[in-house]
Amino acid sequence: MNGKIRIALAGNSNVGKSVIFNYLTGLNQHIGNWPGKTVEKAEGSFRFRGHEISVIDLPGIYSLSTYSIEETVTREYIAKEKPDVVINVVDASVLERNLFFTLQLIEMGRPMIIALNQIDTAEKKGIRIDHKKLGKILGIPVIPTIAVKGTGIYDIAEKAVELSGSGRKPKTIKYGDEFERGIQKIVKALKGFRSDYPPRWLAIKLLENDSEIVRMVLKNAPDAAKEAGKISGEIESIHKHSCPTAVTCEKYAAANRIATQVQKQTKKKGETLAERIHDVSTDKIWGYPVMILIILATFFSVFTFGDFFSAAIEDLLMGFLHLLEAQTGGGIILEFILGLLEGVISAITVILPYILPFYLILGILENSGYLSRMAFLMDNVMHKIGLHGKAFIPLMMGYGCNVPACLGCRIMETHRERMIAIFVTTLIPCAAVTAVILGLVARFVSVWWAIGLYLIDIAIVFALGRIAFRVLPGEPSGLIMEVHSLRMPDIKTTLKQTWFRTKDFVYIALPIIVAGTVLIRIASSAGMLATISELMSPVTVAWLGLPVVTGIALIFGTLKKEMTLVMLAVLFGTTDFASVMTPVQMIVFAFVTMLYIPCAATIAALVRETGWKRGLFITLFNIVFAIVAGGIFFRALSMFM
Amino acid sequence: MTSENVEEYLEIMYRMKEKGIMPTTITVARELGISPASVSEMLVKLAKAGYIKHTPYRGATLTAKGEKIGKNILSKHRTIEKFLNKIGFPKNKSHEQACEMEHVVSDELERVIRNHMDHRKNIKKKGIIFLDDLERGMKARIVSIESGRMAKRRMEEMGLTPGTEIKIGRKAPAGGPVEVCVRGSCLVIGRGLAKKVIVEI
Ligand SMILES: Nc1nc2c(ncn2[C@@H]2O[C@H](COP(=O)(O)OP(=O)(O)O)[C@@H](O)[C@H]2O)c(=O)[nH]1
Ligand SMILES: [Mg+2]
Repeated sequence: MNGKIRIALAGNSNVGKSVIFNYLTGLNQHIGNWPGKTVEKAEGSFRFRGHEISVIDLPGIYSLSTYSIEETVTREYIAKEKPDVVINVVDASVLERNLFFTLQLIEMGRPMIIALNQIDTAEKKGIRIDHKKLGKILGIPVIPTIAVKGTGIYDIAEKAVELSGSGRKPKTIKYGDEFERGIQKIVKALKGFRSDYPPRWLAIKLLENDSEIVRMVLKNAPDAAKEAGKISGEIESIHKHSCPTAVTCEKYAAANRIATQVQKQTKKKGETLAERIHDVSTDKIWGYPVMILIILATFFSVFTFGDFFSAAIEDLLMGFLHLLEAQTGGGIILEFILGLLEGVISAITVILPYILPFYLILGILENSGYLSRMAFLMDNVMHKIGLHGKAFIPLMMGYGCNVPACLGCRIMETHRERMIAIFVTTLIPCAAVTAVILGLVARFVSVWWAIGLYLIDIAIVFALGRIAFRVLPGEPSGLIMEVHSLRMPDIKTTLKQTWFRTKDFVYIALPIIVAGTVLIRIASSAGMLATISELMSPVTVAWLGLPVVTGIALIFGTLKKEMTLVMLAVLFGTTDFASVMTPVQMIVFAFVTMLYIPCAATIAALVRETGWKRGLFITLFNIVFAIVAGGIFFRALSMFM
Repeated sequence: MTSENVEEYLEIMYRMKEKGIMPTTITVARELGISPASVSEMLVKLAKAGYIKHTPYRGATLTAKGEKIGKNILSKHRTIEKFLNKIGFPKNKSHEQACEMEHVVSDELERVIRNHMDHRKNIKKKGIIFLDDLERGMKARIVSIESGRMAKRRMEEMGLTPGTEIKIGRKAPAGGPVEVCVRGSCLVIGRGLAKKVIVEI
């Protein structure tokens, strides 16, 4: 048989699924979204012994309930698409919790393999696991692996091929008698009820009071739902806890029983270096300076590298462009082509020197496990705007670039929190805005005013975040997160991640930047820009107190925020802004640039993450807010400057 | 005084707001189990009385006045239902019973019942300890989790089931999260949630 084999990787987060996925598929992969959901879907394929094998990297989750979108996606995929083999990647150093998920996967009734990964980490913790025994207990082939070294991955592919032909399913893991009796009864009552899910799994979910499953069963097999209700009551009276709690306890008891049977804890060799770093990085006092240092170092190194590299690229490519411009005459077609080229160049000068290194450093921080420590340290601060600690990560990214920040909001579990987080990240001044603040305010007014602008922005973020938190319906949720031990990030995984994220950025940003550049170029060659800036003058001049030409600068700024400053220099014909603008004007201009609109690429990202309606609403809100606040700010400043 | 019927509507709509559902004629009708026609009539009345803002075909939002009443009734409902369960009233009937009682229980009576039931208050007297009372390095055992349904489920699924042994790691300063070591791994729990986990030493 040389058919196509479909395998799926499933497991907790941070166990090594993506490393295995990358190892198997190389660069032959496609990262997209699950249809209609903002959950990343990574698919790929490889050839093995004449078989075409397609692999899907499912999101990292801890259970198959419906706590997060990721969990729903996973269970629906396994039930509906029925992959030929599910590879459950298990972190050997946290066996018990991982087995809790394994037991749930087993209940989904697909042929399974366990990749017992990170045995090197387990070893360091003094944990030894008898994988053969584990395999025998579960009735599933267990393959010890060290994904980062590629150890055992070949065996996984081999076993997957072998298993896909046999269709052998795992053993049923039995719970206590009172549960088993109940499950049998519910399964019987479910007879005749057709669904993608196996009956035993459904029965257990009914006992767990899983709202989606209860609703589905209530509609089509009300008797089974009633039966489940009755049994829940019985279990509750035996266990003195709610039935869902009792089921979870029972599962964990099983996981614990199996784990203790197969693992041996030998003595650990003292405190490891990682543990000592962990202690410092989450210390009450030291944690914060360490964090600030790491953030500053990240931005500083990205900026210095970026500035140098970007200037070099720009000189080279733009020189080329100007040469082309000089060679040829005018004409709308030519403007169009030049606009295309300029757009591409302008995107390149951002992506290569800034975005790529930024993603790389972020990847290193993420894979080392440091980012979750930041979430730990910043949780109480983020609660002030109704979010929890994890939201600090995209917010911090926003100071680099709003686009990855916007995408990064996916780490928030609920839709509501995602929306609030995305909204506030668009208010964060990105690197380009920083360039404007530094180049205009810090240089020509004072450093204190530059710092003041950042502080005002933080105040705005908190105020608007709180309002969003109040008006959006739903309850805030707290931080519940696993922290992994710190480790050396795997180079290959980090590089690949960087590569795919950068590619994603190009997809989002390039089209809109190029289209925008073409548009503006054509408008400018048709002499329309002056008219537009005249039209804008009631706002820019009368309300904000800025020179007329700033209208044009602000239009260019929608493509890339630093363009506002570049255009200002071009329009004024000087870079000595102090000679053409008053300090108040410079401060107000920087303030407006900071807030007036998410740049084009960010709008594209917003639309992708939140849909057209919300994306445009957020954009519009920013525009209106910046104008209103800018005018007030201008009047307040004029009083004492 | 508002009528029972009005209170019932406001309660349902507040409950929907909590869940993040937009109250429309259809959704409210479904929640109440009555016909959309009568709901639609009632919504107009509520809007007239200033309890809600109602845009036909779009949905309704509670005004501050309406929200206050809805919240008050829902809170009474929950308090009563919990109380009924606690004193051994059959669980499957307590919801309905609470639905009727919520309109007649005064604010004062609710406060008294709540105080009586409040775990926080009971702690010091009965020696109940919450996760966030523990200090670094202390060992304890989970008794139960008294948070909202979703958070409770998540914490249990992450391994904090009743009877489990835990060890406290770091606590972030100024009301930040607590690090909890459980089943060979470390979790971080926000302080607000940690206040709802009952443990024993
Ligand atoms: N020491 C060690 N680290 C690993 C191993 N497998 C994965 N990792 C690391 O674990 C982290 C999480 O891996 P990843 O594949 O992203 O996890 P996923 O969330 O399951 O996709 C990465 O930093 C990897 O470098 C392993 O076998 N040994
Ligand atoms: Mg992954």
